Amino acid sequence: MSKKTIEGLQIVSISLIWVLFTGIAIWVFNLIKVSLELHDAPDASVAISIVAILIFLVLASVLTYVFIGLRKGRNEDKET
Amino acid sequence: MDDLSARPHPDAPLLRPIERPARNFYLIVGILLAIILYTGFVYLRQILFGLGVTGMAQPVTWGFYIINFVFFIGISHAGTLISAILRLSKAEWRRPITRMAEVITAIVLAIGGLHPIIDLGRPDRMSHLFFNGRLQSPLLWDITSITAYFTASTVYLYIPLIPDIAILRDRGVKPRWLYEFLSWGWQGTERQHKVLDRAMNILMVIVIPIAISVHTIISYIFAMTVQPGWHSTIFGPYFVVGAIFSGIAAILVLMIVFRKIFRLEGYLKHVHFNYLSILLLIMSLLWFYFTFSEYLTGYYGHEPNEMRVFWYKFTGDFAPYFWTMIFCNFFLPVLLLCNRKTRTIPGILIASISVIIGMWLERLIIVVPSLANPRLPYPTGIYIPTHTEWMLFIGGISVFVLGYMIFARFFPVISIWEIEEGRKESAKIVTERISSYMPDIKPTSAGE
Repeated sequence: MSKKTIEGLQIVSISLIWVLFTGIAIWVFNLIKVSLELHDAPDASVAISIVAILIFLVLASVLTYVFIGLRKGRNEDKET
Repeated sequence: MDDLSARPHPDAPLLRPIERPARNFYLIVGILLAIILYTGFVYLRQILFGLGVTGMAQPVTWGFYIINFVFFIGISHAGTLISAILRLSKAEWRRPITRMAEVITAIVLAIGGLHPIIDLGRPDRMSHLFFNGRLQSPLLWDITSITAYFTASTVYLYIPLIPDIAILRDRGVKPRWLYEFLSWGWQGTERQHKVLDRAMNILMVIVIPIAISVHTIISYIFAMTVQPGWHSTIFGPYFVVGAIFSGIAAILVLMIVFRKIFRLEGYLKHVHFNYLSILLLIMSLLWFYFTFSEYLTGYYGHEPNEMRVFWYKFTGDFAPYFWTMIFCNFFLPVLLLCNRKTRTIPGILIASISVIIGMWLERLIIVVPSLANPRLPYPTGIYIPTHTEWMLFIGGISVFVLGYMIFARFFPVISIWEIEEGRKESAKIVTERISSYMPDIKPTSAGE
């Protein structure tokens, strides 16, 4: 497999991580919406959801930071 | 890049299973696949004929599947949680252990997380959770927390794996494209190390509360009901303690097995087993304390429904399981691990296997007796697991063994770069740390 294909796959994988985590966030928002519409413990729902969304966002950000950081770190080393 | 695979590596024993897999690897994989295939057939039969093929019936509507769900998720605490605690506390002896532990979490969580779906007669109805889920339900909290824990654990396993993947890539190990893809261009530069360290520090901190929340929330599935034997305020910490307890036992068993199979005596030394077994001993005492508190308060209240469950466990149908659990989780481990003469590797192995069996029995004792003796005027329920449930249990264990074998076939089960780093820097770091908290020596005269 060529280097370009592998790089392409790596970019696709970062995008997929964000698609997955955005999907989870949208799902949780939908649950909040349902709980508000049905007056179904909205306070607890909102509290739990905010924590859950935040965790997924942090995880996606850490992964993106690592992937971009490692690539930049490699390039920087080449330049010096 | 030249092919380095022929060159000797200082940690060659860790690369051997990947570069030269054993002949019987494929044989074992074949046997496990056959078991898993048969389990798949049994499950398909359950989907076709419904939950009638299981031993579950009114009033015992939860059986092996929920027991195994709690058990597997409990085992998952072996990895990421213990690894994160050891990393945060800068325990230098952690280095050969952390990855083994982290792999357990990732695989076991995937298996455990599937069990509530297996427990459904109509698994297609899972989709209702996505469109019409109610956040009021602890079951939904469970899905959210398990998904978060699984994601965090996988990330936490993968990130420290990157430098080792790069070693395999540079040695030209096949499939090379896989290592190229997963190594993200790792070259071990200073900046790359900084990025990796920073990411691991963030993960270490967020993984601990997630792991604790997972088993606390699992306990809420029981404790949020008013069922006798379940409605308890200490169920959260009781479940977390039990999970860490069974998790440590699982790591010890795996460490002993890997040490024997891959001849890793030089990496997994007696000191590692000694430290972890002392931790197991402490958890055994803590578990007994929680169990004692849980049953004593129930007994003291003497609420009639509570007492039916109590005597059902202590002297009734479940008494053999209850007392075996006490023996396996408390008496045997304490007896073996308290004494230095029996705290040997065979002794630790016996104690760990005993704890795993005991903790499975604990889940059985929590789930079934409360359902068999409900508050409603039902006759006492009977639950006898069928071939289907036994097979899905064996299948789950087979998936775990297969998953672990496949991981060990492609990736080192002990972190090579962390061992290298430890050899180079540990002694200096530990000396600096000790000197930072030891009182300074100042020459003082007798008159001062």
